[in-house]
Amino acid sequence: MHVCCCLTGHLELARRPDLYGSPVVVGRWEEHVVAASEETRELGVIPGMAMRQAEHLCPQATFVPPDEEATTRIRELISSALYDLAPIVEVRDEGIAWLDLIGLVNPGQSVRAARHRLLRAIGREPRLGLAPGPFSARLAAARARPGRLLRVADAREFLAPLPSRELPLDSEQQERLDLLGLRTLGAVASVGPRELESQLGRDGRHAVLLARGLEPDQLEAWRPPLFTSAHRQFGEPVEDREALLFVARALCGDLADELGLRGAGAKHVRVRLLLESGESEKRESIVRHTLSSTAELFGLIGAWIKEWQPRAAITEFWIELPVLEAAGRRQLRLWAGGDGSSEEVIAALERIQERFGDVVWHPRPA
Amino acid sequence: MQGQKLELAIDSIRVRFGSQALTTAAELPPPQAWPSRTPVDKLTGIGGLPRGRVSLLTGSGTCGKLTLALALLASATHEFAHAIVIDAGGFDTWSLLPFSAELGALTVVSAPAPELAGEAAATLARAGAGFLLLTGAVPEHWLGPLESGASRSGTVVVGVVDAPDRALAHTSSFSLGFSRSEWVWERGQLAGIRVLARCVKNRVAPPLGMTELEIRYPLGSRGLTDFMPGIREVRVQIEEVAECTSAAV
Repeated sequence: MHVCCCLTGHLELARRPDLYGSPVVVGRWEEHVVAASEETRELGVIPGMAMRQAEHLCPQATFVPPDEEATTRIRELISSALYDLAPIVEVRDEGIAWLDLIGLVNPGQSVRAARHRLLRAIGREPRLGLAPGPFSARLAAARARPGRLLRVADAREFLAPLPSRELPLDSEQQERLDLLGLRTLGAVASVGPRELESQLGRDGRHAVLLARGLEPDQLEAWRPPLFTSAHRQFGEPVEDREALLFVARALCGDLADELGLRGAGAKHVRVRLLLESGESEKRESIVRHTLSSTAELFGLIGAWIKEWQPRAAITEFWIELPVLEAAGRRQLRLWAGGDGSSEEVIAALERIQERFGDVVWHPRPA
Repeated sequence: MQGQKLELAIDSIRVRFGSQALTTAAELPPPQAWPSRTPVDKLTGIGGLPRGRVSLLTGSGTCGKLTLALALLASATHEFAHAIVIDAGGFDTWSLLPFSAELGALTVVSAPAPELAGEAAATLARAGAGFLLLTGAVPEHWLGPLESGASRSGTVVVGVVDAPDRALAHTSSFSLGFSRSEWVWERGQLAGIRVLARCVKNRVAPPLGMTELEIRYPLGSRGLTDFMPGIREVRVQIEEVAECTSAAV
């Protein structure tokens, strides 16, 4: 058992936590249902159904238009929240989060932490499943109660009695399975992969492997985005250095929060000033140790601003972090006595060296 | 009568702003101490130099303040991952040899300009360096960041100055004034000095105190060859000769 699946419901539904517990259908009129809450599913509403049909089946539901951008943001938020719990984390819009726990010393701790973080991120208890692969883990999670974990030791044995409609096949392929009398995964597993391939094409072979618990699919690891930036546009052009420092600190705070969420650190820092004259000035640096906290970012950027002599008043201020490194959650201050901040001290010494030249030296024993 | 009015004022402040709004000094927890294993520990009143605060060693001319600071630095190199000297000029690594410092943990920042010294000290204190030795003055506008950075990270900051300006004196939490009382001669050779170390400011614990120290130079009856770098057994001794009574706060 090494894959944990957390089911939270479609992330479109997580945009409206105020509607939890009531029937909700997400989709655009004249199009198909993108997501439906459990309360509407009992009345026959399923994703992919025409919206008018969904309205006919469940007229009392709240109909919400989808917002792909907001859903992507929620997905990124969940991915970054789970990022440091397992070597591979994959989150999908359908509300499925997989964690590959292979190699972890204490997988139970990661599962518990995943449950708590998902609860905090979307406001409802996830269903959890633990199985040898992503397919069996998802089906196990779907059969668990909210906030509970269902463990599957033998995937084939667990899958055998489940209906074959759990397989990722389109409606026509499902119909053919019915006609062939293959109504359970156990029945599908008993057929040879080539036999079903001749009936359904490549999906048939894939379906047999899934039904046998052989887990042919691999998880796609989520990686933090590699670029981020923050900027401030001034109503009136700014000449005051103190005001600029104040804004820089605030932007560094925003960026540090974002880096913290993503579990990343900045490897490359660039500051751009757009001037009233239409020109722009920039300064950039590649740092050896990634910067992730407000103090670290502002330590470098603040030092630049203090000595910067712009040619004209500033209309826009940009801080860009073009290269991010997947730093995970660095465990600074792990040891007592301030020794855990050794990395920060080395980074500070490098900044001093960069700013003032060759002033730092380490005495060596003769 | 005055005492009653004061009590009344304190009570009204506590009623309006909460019990934690006003605290007597005796109720405040003392800062964490770093035991330096030198006689200074007894003078601070908390058993070591205060972490997260600025301590000063002051005194004019040859009075032993730098020797004591080097002993503190050597001790810090064994206890912290980073012991850093902000050198305003005149720091010599060779002078550390008799103290058996762990040079791997030592970093020197050459800061001939006070501005550089101030910025480097504040940055390193904020980053969490274990021990900072300042061998010169720090500009007034860097004292605030230095103090807050050290307070946040728990850095032990020790400054060595002849006479601190008002701002530095105000920033320091513990200040030790040195004055030479006599030279120590043995068999016609200068063997060390006897100094009076007096606590002139202590914001970490009462009471103020003083002590007499004998600082022995690595000379005595040994020949010049003993000062070769390979000879490590030569040690500067800082011995407490006698403890004087504490003065009142």
